[in-house]
Amino acid sequence: MTSLAEDTGTVCSKSQDPKVRFRRVEVIYPGEQGGEAVHALEGIDLAVREGEFVSLIGPSGCGKSTLLRVLADLTKPTAGDVWISSEAPRTARLKRKVGFVFQDAALLEWRRVLANVSLPLEIQGVSRGDRQARAHDLIRLVGLTGFENAFPRQLSGGMRQRAAIARAMSTNPEVMLMDEPFGALDQITRDRLNMELLELSQSQRMTVLFVTHSIREAVLLSDRVAVMTSRPGRITEVIDIDLPRPRTLETRETAAFEKLSRSGVQLLEQGFGSS
Amino acid sequence: MTGLSDSGMPAVGAKGPMSTLWLGVLVPPLVSFVVIVGFWEMAVGYYETPAYILPAPSRIWTSLVKDGGSILGHTGITFFEAVAGFTIGSALGAMLGTLFAYWRMVARGLLPYVIAANTIPVVAIAPIIIIWFGHGIPSKVAVTAFLSFFPLALNMMKGLQSYDHTIMDVFHVAAASGWQRFAKMRLPSSLPYIFVGLKLNVTFSVIGAIIAEFIQADRGLGFVIMTAYRTLNMPRLWAAMLMSALIGILFFALVALIERWAIPWHSSMREDIGS
Repeated sequence: MTSLAEDTGTVCSKSQDPKVRFRRVEVIYPGEQGGEAVHALEGIDLAVREGEFVSLIGPSGCGKSTLLRVLADLTKPTAGDVWISSEAPRTARLKRKVGFVFQDAALLEWRRVLANVSLPLEIQGVSRGDRQARAHDLIRLVGLTGFENAFPRQLSGGMRQRAAIARAMSTNPEVMLMDEPFGALDQITRDRLNMELLELSQSQRMTVLFVTHSIREAVLLSDRVAVMTSRPGRITEVIDIDLPRPRTLETRETAAFEKLSRSGVQLLEQGFGSS
Repeated sequence: MTGLSDSGMPAVGAKGPMSTLWLGVLVPPLVSFVVIVGFWEMAVGYYETPAYILPAPSRIWTSLVKDGGSILGHTGITFFEAVAGFTIGSALGAMLGTLFAYWRMVARGLLPYVIAANTIPVVAIAPIIIIWFGHGIPSKVAVTAFLSFFPLALNMMKGLQSYDHTIMDVFHVAAASGWQRFAKMRLPSSLPYIFVGLKLNVTFSVIGAIIAEFIQADRGLGFVIMTAYRTLNMPRLWAAMLMSALIGILFFALVALIERWAIPWHSSMREDIGS
């Protein structure tokens, strides 16, 4: 497995297995009605340590989302292996080891915030008292205190996304998957939620895979950034983000941040050039 | 984690005192009622229109009060037939719609015939149903059930198929069972469609009951209308027509009330939450 470590730039000590591992993963979508088959992912090798924050960045159609969907057992890989804590995605999903935050908050319009946040626990069969206590804690954690009894349509886009994050955290998953969770938000809201996600992921020691279009967002949040190209979807480079923590919005004004962002942008442009 | 000010929440309950609201809602239709009925009464008196062309409101009222007991009894029977047929037809329609939504092959096999049956004029099928079910009330209920079967079957199918796919992914990641997906997600999100079907059924069930009574009956509003027509007792015919409109309105209001209670979160219910 030395080649894996080299490919991904990860250094995994033998005693600590990676939380998430992809080995030569390939996803091919069959072409529609005689069309050509789409190579959504090809030769994906990636290992993510426990507590690590890894961003996936790349042009549209590079398979960033597909990569997350494979982990969540929403898409089956055509070839290769995927492990979450040494388990197959299906097993991990059935054990509620995975949390998923989508670009769309996807809240149930007929449930109030409290019932939306506790939905996964309700599905799991957790007793009413326990799941409400947990939901109250999470609502406080994501800053929605006072809105427990609001319906989703009474919330702003940022608040809806906070509720979606709290919902994804409710089962205390080992791996959090976030597919452009702040993509539809305005810049100020996005900045604020970035800061809160930084704080949350640190304090809760979450293992996060985060898909974004924004290189600056990726650099600000991540321990590593995986740059992808499209057709076929591949990881071309993994950048180590060695910026000190705790990070703040001011981190974005440092020379080190600028340098990392610029190298990220260059890598992305190379990707565009080759495809 | 600072308090939330992503954007304001729409003001809830930002409406005037109840008395103003009721004045605004109730007064306009009352005023127009008084004006129209008053004009009608005066015009009929002034032109000395014969009662068989257009009876004065006062004569319709007299006819209604004079044999009020009898008309009320007939109205009760028709109302019962409509409600019973509505309930049976809607229940069967909901079951078939669910079957169609879950088993595409069943839908493909049966839907063409269901749609074909839906186009049969009720006056053509009613005599057949009456022969099958006999001369009593059950045959009128059966005709009504036949009419109120299709709207709910088709709307139920459409409703159960029109869920949000990202929300389905949320349920998948939460390892929800098929039953949980149905009960907590597909059924609630189909409620707006179900109520469209139910409201159509209200209208159809009253029509169905009266048409069945036209064809063969010795009681009910359809029977009253038929006999009043044969004897040219126009005030009585108008009184029966008014009563049939009344049960339609009453029935519709009942379903609309249940709708308000069942789906307060839906956009069609939004006016009552301010904004």
